Amino acid sequence: MNLNKARAVIEALVFASSEPIRLREIAEITGIHEHTVKQLLSDLIAEYNQETKGIRIVEVAQGYQFMTNPACADYVEKLHQTPRNVGLSPAAIETLAIIAYKQPITRAEIEALRGVRVDSAITTLLERGLIREAGRKDAPGRPILYGTTQKFLQYFGLNDLRELPALEDWTTMANEPGQDGEDKSETKQEAEPE
Amino acid sequence: MSYEIKLEVFEGPFDLLLHLIERNQLNIYDIPIALVTDQFLAYIQTMQMLNLTVAGEFLVVAATLMQIKARMLLPKPPPVTLDETEEEEEDPRSELVERLVEYKKFKEAALELRRREEEFSRFYPRVGGEFPDQVIAPVEDPGGGISIWDLLEAFQAVLDSFTPRPELKGMPKEEISIKERMNDILSRLMLHGRMVFSQLVEGVTTRKGLITTFLALLELIRLKRIRAAQDRPFGEIAITTFGEGETVESQ
Repeated sequence: MNLNKARAVIEALVFASSEPIRLREIAEITGIHEHTVKQLLSDLIAEYNQETKGIRIVEVAQGYQFMTNPACADYVEKLHQTPRNVGLSPAAIETLAIIAYKQPITRAEIEALRGVRVDSAITTLLERGLIREAGRKDAPGRPILYGTTQKFLQYFGLNDLRELPALEDWTTMANEPGQDGEDKSETKQEAEPE
Repeated sequence: MSYEIKLEVFEGPFDLLLHLIERNQLNIYDIPIALVTDQFLAYIQTMQMLNLTVAGEFLVVAATLMQIKARMLLPKPPPVTLDETEEEEEDPRSELVERLVEYKKFKEAALELRRREEEFSRFYPRVGGEFPDQVIAPVEDPGGGISIWDLLEAFQAVLDSFTPRPELKGMPKEEISIKERMNDILSRLMLHGRMVFSQLVEGVTTRKGLITTFLALLELIRLKRIRAAQDRPFGEIAITTFGEGETVESQ
C-alpha cells in the first residue's frame, strides 16, 4: 500500500468509526506501523484544519474522530434543533472536578471537600455518563467509589486525564499570569474504558 | 394555582466564604473573622427570607465562624517564659482556612472544565456517533459570570434602601404571583431590551412584591430565559433576554 492509499484508508476508517478510533486499532486493521499512522493522521488533520472545511479530525479520548468545524456550530445546531443550554450546573461541574482529580472517591469525601451535599450532582453526572461507580471502598459501610468515564474525556475534548492541569498549579497560576503550568509532575490514574 | 417554585442553593458555604473573601479583597490566610461572620450571617438571613432552601451546612459553618470569632476575642494567656519549648499558639482560623484553600483549588479546576465544555461544545460529531449528549448547545452562562451571591447582594441592596409605600385604605390588595411576575418581566424586557435590576422593581410597593420579583428573576435565570450580567465588579446587574418571546407556561 503506498502512502496516498494508506492516507485514504485511514481517513475512511476515522469516518466510518462511530467512536473515536485509536491508533492501535488503525494499525491493526491496516498493518501499517503506529508511528506511520500517526504521521499520516497529522497530515490529514492539517489538511482539514482550514476555514474552508466544514469538518475536522479531532484527537479526543485517545482516539481520532471527525467533528464539525466549530465555526459552523450555529447552523449545525439548527439542523439538530438542539435544546439550548444543557451545560452542567456549577454544582455538577465542581463535583465532577473533584471526582476527576481525586478518583476513586466516595460521596462523603466529596461532600467534605465541597462542604455541601452532592447527591443530586452525582445523580446528574451518573445519568449523563460522565462518572461511574468504580468499586467500593474498603471502609465501614463499604461506600461506593466514583470515577470518571471515557465519555468524560470526550465531553471535555480531553485526550486523557493527564491533560487536566495539575491541581497544585492553580493557586500559583492565578498569581503569576503568563506562567504556564507546564510542570505536570502529578500523574493521575486514568479512568479505564470499559 | 400560583406558580410554585422551590429554589435550592446548591452552592455550599465554602463557596459563599470564598465569594466574601474575593468581594472584600481579603487575604485568605488572614481573614478578618468578625467582618466575614457578619456578612455570612446576613446572606443566610436573606436566603431564609426568600425561602431558599438553605442547607444545614451553612448553619454549621456559621457556628464555626462564631466560635472562631469568640476564640479570637479571648485574651491570650501570658507567655510562660519558664517553658523553653514555647508552643506555637495555633491560629483558630487555620483549620477553616485549610479547607477553604483546598476547596478553592477544585473550584478553579471546575472553571477550567467549564471553559473546555464551552469550547468543545462547538464541535459536533457525525450523527450516528455514539454519544448523543455530545450534541449539546453552547453553554450560555445564564449568570453572565455572576453568581447567586452577586444576585443576593443586589437584592439585599435594593431591600435596604426600600421604604414600603403606605397602603391606601379601600384599595384592593394586589397579589401578584411569581408566574405573573415572570411574564411581566419578560414582556418589559421585550420592550426595553435591557434593564437593570433596580428598574425591574420600580413601582413595587411592598416587601412581598420585592421578594416575588426577585424570585421570578431567579426562576427565569434558572430556566435560561434571561441572562444576568455585571458590567463591572459590584456594578448594577443588567438583565437581558435570550430573545424568544413566549410567555411562561404553567409547569
